[in-house]
Amino acid sequence: MHPESASGRRVGAILAALLCVCPLAVHAAGVDLLPPEQAFRYSARALDDRTLEARFVIADGYYLYRDKFKFAVTPDGAVLGSPDMPAGKIKTDQFFGTVETYRGTVVMKLPLSGAAAGQTVVLAADSQGCADVGVCYPPSRQKVSLPLLATGAGPGALVDATPPKKNWFK
Amino acid sequence: MQKTFAKWASVASVALAALAAGLYFGSDAPRERPKALMELTLPDVDGREQRLDQWKGKVMVVNFWATWCEPCREEMPEFVKAQEAFGSKGLQFVGIAIDQPDKIRQFSQEIKLNYPSLVGGYGALELSKTLGNKIMALPFTLIVDREGGVVYAQMGPLKPGKLDAIVAKLL
Repeated sequence: MHPESASGRRVGAILAALLCVCPLAVHAAGVDLLPPEQAFRYSARALDDRTLEARFVIADGYYLYRDKFKFAVTPDGAVLGSPDMPAGKIKTDQFFGTVETYRGTVVMKLPLSGAAAGQTVVLAADSQGCADVGVCYPPSRQKVSLPLLATGAGPGALVDATPPKKNWFK
Repeated sequence: MQKTFAKWASVASVALAALAAGLYFGSDAPRERPKALMELTLPDVDGREQRLDQWKGKVMVVNFWATWCEPCREEMPEFVKAQEAFGSKGLQFVGIAIDQPDKIRQFSQEIKLNYPSLVGGYGALELSKTLGNKIMALPFTLIVDREGGVVYAQMGPLKPGKLDAIVAKLL
Protein backbone atom coordinates (compact mmCIF):
# COMPACT_ATOMS: atom_id res chain seq x y z
CA MET A 1 0.00 0.00 0.00
CA HIS A 2 1.46 3.37 -1.00
CA PRO A 3 1.69 5.68 1.97
CA GLU A 4 0.17 8.56 0.02
CA SER A 5 -2.93 6.61 -1.04
CA ALA A 6 -6.31 7.51 0.43
CA SER A 7 -6.54 4.24 2.33
CA GLY A 8 -2.98 4.72 3.56
CA ARG A 9 -3.91 8.08 5.01
CA ARG A 10 -7.02 6.56 6.49
CA VAL A 11 -4.97 3.81 8.10
CA GLY A 12 -2.60 6.43 9.42
CA ALA A 13 -5.47 8.38 10.92
CA ILE A 14 -6.93 5.25 12.52
CA LEU A 15 -3.52 4.26 13.88
CA ALA A 16 -2.97 7.73 15.28
CA ALA A 17 -6.40 7.78 16.86
CA LEU A 18 -5.92 4.37 18.42
CA LEU A 19 -2.45 5.06 19.70
CA CYS A 20 -3.53 8.34 21.22
CA VAL A 21 -6.32 6.63 23.12
CA CYS A 22 -4.35 3.62 24.29
CA PRO A 23 -2.02 5.03 26.95
CA LEU A 24 -5.00 6.32 28.93
CA ALA A 25 -7.25 3.32 28.37
CA VAL A 26 -8.57 1.79 31.55
CA HIS A 27 -8.73 -1.96 31.30
CA ALA A 28 -12.04 -3.01 32.74
CA ALA A 29 -13.22 -6.36 33.99
CA GLY A 30 -15.35 -7.16 30.98
CA VAL A 31 -18.44 -5.07 30.61
CA ASP A 32 -19.34 -1.41 30.77
CA LEU A 33 -20.12 -0.88 34.41
CA LEU A 34 -23.10 1.15 35.51
CA PRO A 35 -22.77 4.09 37.87
CA PRO A 36 -24.16 3.06 41.27
CA GLU A 37 -27.40 5.04 41.00
CA GLN A 38 -28.22 3.13 37.81
CA ALA A 39 -27.06 -0.24 39.09
CA PHE A 40 -29.14 0.25 42.26
CA ARG A 41 -32.24 2.30 41.48
CA TYR A 42 -33.89 3.64 44.58
CA SER A 43 -37.47 4.81 44.83
CA ALA A 44 -39.92 5.08 47.70
CA ARG A 45 -43.51 5.92 48.55
CA ALA A 46 -45.61 6.68 51.56
CA LEU A 47 -48.16 3.94 52.09
CA ASP A 48 -49.83 6.18 54.67
CA ASP A 49 -48.70 8.63 57.35
CA ARG A 50 -47.27 5.79 59.43
CA THR A 51 -45.60 3.57 56.86
CA LEU A 52 -42.98 4.25 54.19
CA GLU A 53 -41.91 1.79 51.52
CA ALA A 54 -38.39 1.78 50.08
CA ARG A 55 -37.71 -0.02 46.84
CA PHE A 56 -34.43 -0.94 45.15
CA VAL A 57 -34.36 -2.22 41.59
CA ILE A 58 -31.01 -3.91 41.16
CA ALA A 59 -29.67 -4.35 37.61
CA ASP A 60 -28.82 -7.85 36.36
CA GLY A 61 -25.30 -8.82 37.37
CA TYR A 62 -25.29 -6.59 40.45
CA TYR A 63 -26.18 -7.18 44.10
CA LEU A 64 -26.64 -5.27 47.36
CA TYR A 65 -25.65 -6.29 50.88
CA ARG A 66 -28.62 -6.64 53.23
CA ASP A 67 -26.73 -5.53 56.34
CA LYS A 68 -25.41 -2.35 54.68
CA PHE A 69 -28.82 -0.70 54.39
CA LYS A 70 -29.41 2.27 56.63
CA PHE A 71 -32.38 4.57 56.54
CA ALA A 72 -32.85 8.02 57.97
CA VAL A 73 -35.78 10.40 57.85
CA THR A 74 -36.06 14.17 58.13
CA PRO A 75 -37.38 16.57 59.36
CA ASP A 76 -36.50 16.32 63.04
CA GLY A 77 -39.33 14.82 64.99
CA ALA A 78 -40.05 12.15 62.41
CA VAL A 79 -38.77 8.78 63.61
CA LEU A 80 -38.27 5.52 61.74
CA GLY A 81 -38.85 2.13 63.29
CA SER A 82 -36.94 -1.01 62.31
CA PRO A 83 -37.28 -1.73 58.61
CA ASP A 84 -39.08 -4.90 57.58
CA MET A 85 -36.53 -6.40 55.22
CA PRO A 86 -36.93 -9.65 53.27
CA ALA A 87 -34.38 -12.41 53.75
CA GLY A 88 -31.52 -12.26 51.31
CA LYS A 89 -29.46 -14.96 49.67
CA ILE A 90 -26.92 -16.28 52.15
CA LYS A 91 -23.31 -16.15 51.12
CA THR A 92 -20.19 -17.05 53.07
CA ASP A 93 -17.64 -14.28 53.14
CA GLN A 94 -14.13 -15.17 54.35
CA PHE A 95 -13.72 -11.92 56.26
CA PHE A 96 -17.23 -11.07 57.39
CA GLY A 97 -18.65 -14.59 57.81
CA THR A 98 -22.23 -15.10 56.70
CA VAL A 99 -23.65 -12.25 54.65
CA GLU A 100 -26.97 -11.83 52.88
CA THR A 101 -27.33 -10.30 49.44
CA TYR A 102 -30.23 -9.03 47.38
CA ARG A 103 -30.75 -9.23 43.62
CA GLY A 104 -33.62 -8.07 41.43
CA THR A 105 -36.24 -5.94 43.17
CA VAL A 106 -36.24 -5.51 46.95
CA VAL A 107 -39.09 -3.84 48.80
CA MET A 108 -38.79 -2.81 52.45
CA LYS A 109 -41.39 -1.34 54.77
CA LEU A 110 -40.46 1.27 57.35
CA PRO A 111 -42.71 2.25 60.25
CA LEU A 112 -42.85 6.02 60.70
CA SER A 113 -43.91 8.04 63.72
CA GLY A 114 -43.79 11.70 64.65
CA ALA A 115 -44.96 12.89 61.25
CA ALA A 116 -48.45 13.86 60.13
CA ALA A 117 -50.49 13.67 56.96
CA GLY A 118 -49.87 16.72 54.79
CA GLN A 119 -46.20 16.83 55.79
CA THR A 120 -43.37 15.94 53.40
CA VAL A 121 -40.57 13.76 54.70
CA VAL A 122 -37.23 12.94 53.12
CA LEU A 123 -36.23 9.28 53.27
CA ALA A 124 -32.48 8.79 52.88
CA ALA A 125 -31.24 5.30 52.10
CA ASP A 126 -27.64 4.15 52.39
CA SER A 127 -26.75 1.05 50.45
CA GLN A 128 -23.67 -0.78 49.29
CA GLY A 129 -23.21 -3.40 46.63
CA CYS A 130 -21.08 -4.94 43.94
CA ALA A 131 -21.10 -6.19 40.35
CA ASP A 132 -20.53 -9.85 39.53
CA VAL A 133 -17.61 -8.93 37.25
CA GLY A 134 -15.62 -8.19 40.39
CA VAL A 135 -16.01 -4.59 41.43
CA CYS A 136 -17.71 -3.04 44.44
CA TYR A 137 -19.17 0.40 44.91
CA PRO A 138 -18.59 2.47 48.02
CA PRO A 139 -21.55 3.02 50.31
CA SER A 140 -23.86 5.54 48.70
CA ARG A 141 -26.73 7.63 49.99
CA GLN A 142 -29.83 8.35 47.93
CA LYS A 143 -32.81 10.45 48.97
CA VAL A 144 -36.45 10.86 48.06
CA SER A 145 -39.04 13.42 49.21
CA LEU A 146 -42.38 11.89 50.12
CA PRO A 147 -45.64 13.72 50.80
CA LEU A 148 -47.56 11.92 53.52
CA LEU A 149 -51.17 11.03 52.94
CA ALA A 150 -53.74 10.36 55.64
CA THR A 151 -54.37 6.77 56.69
CA GLY A 152 -57.05 5.38 54.43
CA ALA A 153 -56.21 7.71 51.53
CA GLY A 154 -54.32 4.90 49.79
CA PRO A 155 -50.63 4.70 49.01
CA GLY A 156 -48.83 7.73 47.57
CA ALA A 157 -47.08 7.64 44.22
CA LEU A 158 -43.69 5.98 43.91
CA VAL A 159 -40.98 8.68 43.82
CA ASP A 160 -37.60 8.07 42.18
CA ALA A 161 -34.41 9.21 43.83
CA THR A 162 -33.03 12.26 42.12
CA PRO A 163 -29.33 12.64 41.32
CA PRO A 164 -26.78 13.74 42.29
CA LYS A 165 -26.14 11.24 44.99
CA LYS A 166 -23.22 11.63 47.26
CA ASN A 167 -21.01 8.78 48.24
CA TRP A 168 -20.15 8.83 51.87
CA PHE A 169 -17.94 7.10 54.34
CA LYS A 170 -18.32 6.15 57.91
CA MET B 1 -16.66 -2.83 -5.89
CA GLN B 2 -14.38 -5.73 -5.10
CA LYS B 3 -11.42 -3.36 -4.98
CA THR B 4 -13.23 -1.09 -2.53
CA PHE B 5 -14.05 -4.08 -0.36
CA ALA B 6 -10.44 -5.24 -0.45
CA LYS B 7 -9.29 -1.76 0.49
CA TRP B 8 -11.69 -1.60 3.42
CA ALA B 9 -10.78 -5.12 4.49
CA SER B 10 -7.13 -4.11 4.60
CA VAL B 11 -7.97 -0.95 6.51
CA ALA B 12 -10.02 -2.99 8.97
CA SER B 13 -7.31 -5.58 9.48
CA VAL B 14 -4.64 -2.93 9.99
CA ALA B 15 -6.95 -1.14 12.40
CA LEU B 16 -7.51 -4.34 14.36
CA ALA B 17 -3.80 -5.06 14.41
CA ALA B 18 -3.18 -1.49 15.55
CA LEU B 19 -5.76 -1.86 18.26
CA ALA B 20 -4.15 -5.05 19.48
CA ALA B 21 -0.68 -3.52 19.25
CA GLY B 22 -1.83 -0.36 20.97
CA LEU B 23 -3.26 -2.29 23.87
CA TYR B 24 -0.30 -4.58 24.07
CA PHE B 25 2.32 -1.90 23.69
CA GLY B 26 0.38 0.64 25.72
CA SER B 27 3.23 0.63 28.17
CA ASP B 28 5.64 1.90 25.49
CA ALA B 29 3.46 4.83 24.49
CA PRO B 30 3.82 8.31 25.96
CA ARG B 31 2.66 8.20 29.58
CA GLU B 32 0.59 10.31 31.84
CA ARG B 33 2.62 11.59 34.77
CA PRO B 34 -0.13 12.72 37.12
CA LYS B 35 1.47 15.00 39.72
CA ALA B 36 -1.58 14.64 41.93
CA LEU B 37 -0.92 10.91 42.35
CA MET B 38 2.74 11.22 43.33
CA GLU B 39 2.02 14.18 45.57
CA LEU B 40 -0.84 12.39 47.30
CA THR B 41 -0.29 12.36 51.05
CA LEU B 42 -2.39 10.07 53.21
CA PRO B 43 -2.05 8.70 56.73
CA ASP B 44 -1.01 5.10 57.27
CA VAL B 45 -2.89 2.93 59.77
CA ASP B 46 -0.75 4.40 62.58
CA GLY B 47 -1.67 7.95 61.61
CA ARG B 48 1.70 8.85 60.08
CA GLU B 49 1.44 10.93 56.90
CA GLN B 50 2.93 9.19 53.88
CA ARG B 51 3.57 10.82 50.53
CA LEU B 52 3.50 8.60 47.46
CA ASP B 53 6.58 10.12 45.83
CA GLN B 54 8.73 8.65 48.61
CA TRP B 55 8.66 5.50 46.43
CA LYS B 56 9.51 7.31 43.21
CA GLY B 57 12.26 5.46 41.39
CA LYS B 58 10.55 2.15 42.06
CA VAL B 59 7.94 0.48 39.93
CA MET B 60 4.77 1.12 41.89
CA VAL B 61 1.49 -0.72 41.95
CA VAL B 62 -1.10 1.54 43.54
CA ASN B 63 -4.16 -0.44 44.56
CA PHE B 64 -7.37 1.26 45.71
CA TRP B 65 -9.25 -1.23 47.88
CA ALA B 66 -11.49 -1.73 50.93
CA THR B 67 -12.38 -4.53 53.32
CA TRP B 68 -16.03 -4.18 52.24
CA CYS B 69 -14.94 -5.10 48.70
CA GLU B 70 -14.71 -8.88 48.39
CA PRO B 71 -13.00 -8.91 44.96
CA CYS B 72 -10.37 -6.55 46.45
CA ARG B 73 -9.69 -8.93 49.33
CA GLU B 74 -9.54 -11.90 46.98
CA GLU B 75 -6.79 -10.49 44.79
CA MET B 76 -4.57 -9.08 47.54
CA PRO B 77 -2.81 -12.35 48.51
CA GLU B 78 -1.45 -12.33 44.94
CA PHE B 79 -0.10 -8.83 45.52
CA VAL B 80 1.62 -10.07 48.67
CA LYS B 81 3.29 -12.82 46.61
CA ALA B 82 4.36 -10.35 43.91
CA GLN B 83 5.77 -7.95 46.52
CA GLU B 84 7.71 -10.85 48.02
CA ALA B 85 9.00 -12.02 44.63
CA PHE B 86 9.88 -8.68 43.03
CA GLY B 87 10.36 -6.28 45.95
CA SER B 88 14.14 -6.66 45.86
CA LYS B 89 14.09 -5.76 42.16
CA GLY B 90 12.35 -2.48 42.84
CA LEU B 91 8.64 -3.28 42.89
CA GLN B 92 6.60 -1.44 45.51
CA PHE B 93 2.93 -2.05 46.15
CA VAL B 94 1.01 0.71 47.89
CA GLY B 95 -2.55 0.14 49.00
CA ILE B 96 -5.01 2.99 49.36
CA ALA B 97 -7.88 1.68 51.45
CA ILE B 98 -11.21 3.47 51.37
CA ASP B 99 -11.87 2.21 54.85
CA GLN B 100 -11.37 2.55 58.58
CA PRO B 101 -7.89 2.03 60.09
CA ASP B 102 -8.96 -0.79 62.45
CA LYS B 103 -10.50 -2.80 59.61
CA ILE B 104 -7.47 -2.18 57.38
CA ARG B 105 -5.19 -3.34 60.20
CA GLN B 106 -7.27 -6.45 60.88
CA PHE B 107 -7.32 -7.58 57.26
CA SER B 108 -3.64 -6.68 56.77
CA GLN B 109 -2.70 -8.96 59.65
CA GLU B 110 -4.94 -11.71 58.35
CA ILE B 111 -3.21 -11.87 54.95
CA LYS B 112 0.22 -10.80 56.29
CA LEU B 113 0.29 -7.73 54.09
CA ASN B 114 3.92 -6.93 53.30
CA TYR B 115 3.45 -3.45 51.85
CA PRO B 116 1.96 -0.23 53.21
CA SER B 117 -1.73 0.45 52.99
CA LEU B 118 -2.72 4.06 53.46
CA VAL B 119 -6.06 5.30 54.72
CA GLY B 120 -7.97 7.04 51.96
CA GLY B 121 -11.35 8.71 52.08
CA TYR B 122 -13.69 10.19 49.55
CA GLY B 123 -10.87 12.49 48.38
CA ALA B 124 -8.71 9.51 47.41
CA LEU B 125 -11.60 8.01 45.50
CA GLU B 126 -12.16 11.35 43.75
CA LEU B 127 -8.50 11.30 42.75
CA SER B 128 -8.89 7.80 41.32
CA LYS B 129 -11.72 9.21 39.20
CA THR B 130 -9.34 11.67 37.56
CA LEU B 131 -7.05 8.71 36.81
CA GLY B 132 -9.71 6.72 35.00
CA ASN B 133 -11.90 5.23 37.74
CA LYS B 134 -14.92 7.00 36.38
CA ILE B 135 -17.53 5.10 38.41
CA MET B 136 -15.34 5.23 41.53
CA ALA B 137 -15.61 1.50 42.17
CA LEU B 138 -13.06 -0.89 43.67
CA PRO B 139 -10.63 -2.48 43.15
CA PHE B 140 -8.84 0.04 40.95
CA THR B 141 -5.17 -0.51 40.30
CA LEU B 142 -2.51 1.62 38.64
CA ILE B 143 0.93 0.44 37.55
CA VAL B 144 3.42 3.30 37.68
CA ASP B 145 6.91 3.25 36.12
CA ARG B 146 10.10 4.42 37.80
CA GLU B 147 9.57 7.96 36.51
CA GLY B 148 6.06 8.23 37.93
CA GLY B 149 4.28 7.57 34.65
CA VAL B 150 1.02 5.62 34.79
CA VAL B 151 1.56 2.66 32.50
CA TYR B 152 -1.58 0.68 33.14
CA ALA B 153 -4.94 1.16 34.82
CA GLN B 154 -7.22 -1.68 35.80
CA MET B 155 -10.81 -1.46 36.97
CA GLY B 156 -11.66 -4.72 38.72
CA PRO B 157 -9.31 -7.56 39.63
CA LEU B 158 -5.87 -7.61 38.04
CA LYS B 159 -4.95 -11.10 36.87
CA PRO B 160 -1.60 -12.28 38.25
CA GLY B 161 -0.30 -13.15 34.75
CA LYS B 162 -1.15 -9.67 33.52
CA LEU B 163 0.50 -8.03 36.51
CA ASP B 164 3.68 -10.09 36.13
CA ALA B 165 3.89 -9.39 32.38
CA ILE B 166 3.61 -5.63 32.78
CA VAL B 167 5.84 -5.40 35.82
CA ALA B 168 8.54 -7.61 34.25
CA LYS B 169 8.93 -5.08 31.42
CA LEU B 170 9.37 -2.21 33.85
CA LEU B 171 11.76 -3.72 36.40
